[in-house]
Amino acid sequence: MFKLILSNLRQRPTRTCVSVIAVALGVALLLVSMGLSYGQLVDTVRRAQGIGGDFILQSSEASVIFALNSGTIPVRVQKVIEEVEGVEAVTPILAKFLGDQFHIVFGIDPESFGRVNSTLSFVEGGRFSEPREVIIDTIYANSKKMKAKDPLQILGHEFTVAGVFREGIGARVLLPLTTLQELNGTPDKATMFFIRAKEEVALEQVYESLQERFENYKITKTAELQEIMMDSTPVFKEFVTAMVCISVTISFLIILLAMYSTITERTREIGILKSLGASKSYIVRLILNESLLICAAGVGLGFLATFVVIELLVAAFPTLPVAISLFWRVTAAAMAVIGGTLGALYPALKAAGMDPVKALGYE
Amino acid sequence: MSEMIGITRRKDVVVVEDLQMVYRVGKMEVPALRGVDFSVKEGEFVAVIGPSGCGKSTLLHLIGGLLKPTSGRILIEGVSISSVSDVARTEIRRQRMGFVFQSYNLLNTLTAKENIALAKRIQGNGYYEDGSAQKILRMLGLENKMEHKPWELSGGEQQRVAIARAVINRPAILLADEPTGSLDSENSRMVLNMLRELNSDYGQTIIIITHDPEAAATADRLIEMRDGKILNRVQNMFYAMGEKRS
Repeated sequence: MFKLILSNLRQRPTRTCVSVIAVALGVALLLVSMGLSYGQLVDTVRRAQGIGGDFILQSSEASVIFALNSGTIPVRVQKVIEEVEGVEAVTPILAKFLGDQFHIVFGIDPESFGRVNSTLSFVEGGRFSEPREVIIDTIYANSKKMKAKDPLQILGHEFTVAGVFREGIGARVLLPLTTLQELNGTPDKATMFFIRAKEEVALEQVYESLQERFENYKITKTAELQEIMMDSTPVFKEFVTAMVCISVTISFLIILLAMYSTITERTREIGILKSLGASKSYIVRLILNESLLICAAGVGLGFLATFVVIELLVAAFPTLPVAISLFWRVTAAAMAVIGGTLGALYPALKAAGMDPVKALGYE
Repeated sequence: MSEMIGITRRKDVVVVEDLQMVYRVGKMEVPALRGVDFSVKEGEFVAVIGPSGCGKSTLLHLIGGLLKPTSGRILIEGVSISSVSDVARTEIRRQRMGFVFQSYNLLNTLTAKENIALAKRIQGNGYYEDGSAQKILRMLGLENKMEHKPWELSGGEQQRVAIARAVINRPAILLADEPTGSLDSENSRMVLNMLRELNSDYGQTIIIITHDPEAAATADRLIEMRDGKILNRVQNMFYAMGEKRS
């Protein structure tokens, strides 16, 4: 059967190639879009966790997508949080999304930030000491080809790069909290507080104490940030569902079209197979296996195309985070195969049900 | 005479009883067979002759289990294929029938050897290569054409490959629908000789449908049809006398 399938696919190279490319397109579309959206999400989570706090305290209506929030909580709340039992350190952070540069900057208070975070290390220069100084991470520095002492424009104001830190902590650009408060027009306000618990106290106990004390605030465990972000990101689930549906639909329609036209062209061949005693299940398996082979080739090509597209995107936009997990690779392959199999099912059943005498007489 | 007695003692491979077949074309009913009765014994070579539209091909397709009759009975080695399920009829066709068509009906994407092997694989419902395809192609003088695709073969060669494919599984009955209809006289003779040899040397039961008088003359017995009925049954005297054919 495999030889017959291969020879049939070779017999119609254009259709086979177009079908494979179309399936690959569905796979690549799913993987690239998921890779970029999950990449953004995972990267945001990783960098938020990189700050080092165990909890994040935000106003009740705030989103865990930091870019969507503004400065709404008075900085003096920091003192109240520090009084909660089990809290080791607290640092306020003001997040500001820069629309023109499409990235987020964090305003930090270096002193309290240093108590919460213990991993900030510099590859060049050091912490800022002046209001118009910033520090940037290695990815931002590489993508903008910047180094310490270089000027940097933020919100229409010129800053100087004081140092370049190893990426993975907060935002790509960190600047003094008071400076960002001033530029943002929200003096003495913060977007959120990162809270570090004492090591000797159970996290759940600190969490309960915080909830009890700040019942009108949103308190998020940083360890659960990814799940919470996925659940609360606007239309994220709908986007994922739409991409999966598009991928399945592409495979379904292409394979349906390819297999339907192939069985029409091969009506006589099906009649011959039936005259040789091929059962209905044999004919169904023949068509389904042919579509499976196309899907398998499409999945392979889709993976390759995804790799090439991602490499090109990352080369063009080095700060672009991409995360294609094994789950999504398996999902993309499964969607292509499921779509392809469903698409081939109707032509396969139609072929199996053909009248052998009419099929043999087909010209 | 003893040969004739020998024939009558052989078992019936095909028994057709009061076979009727009516095609529906829209609201019209077109009768193709109107009560056909005959039987074919093991090792017999029968030719069904008659003008176009007399029901010959319908009869062959019914015997081969490709169609289901409107009424009547067809027994293949004692099993009624007219009353069994589609699955069972397919199984009988797979295990007990071999078809040869006027237009050869080889799969163009496969080589001569692969076309023959395909029939074997379908019968076995799986892949195995036991060399029988090569053996039979060698026997038919096609050993140099094993790897050729059908379009690289002449009409006569294609029909010989089709015959090889039909007999590779040692079917109980070989059904041939105008096997020489598309061939020139030399290739026709070659194909008829092959069929004759299969019948005389291997005892292959053959039912052939033909317009070709030479092809009809090769058979042991002639069944002449007209308007969906059997008009004449003629024993080929040449065969009845047990004389060897050239």
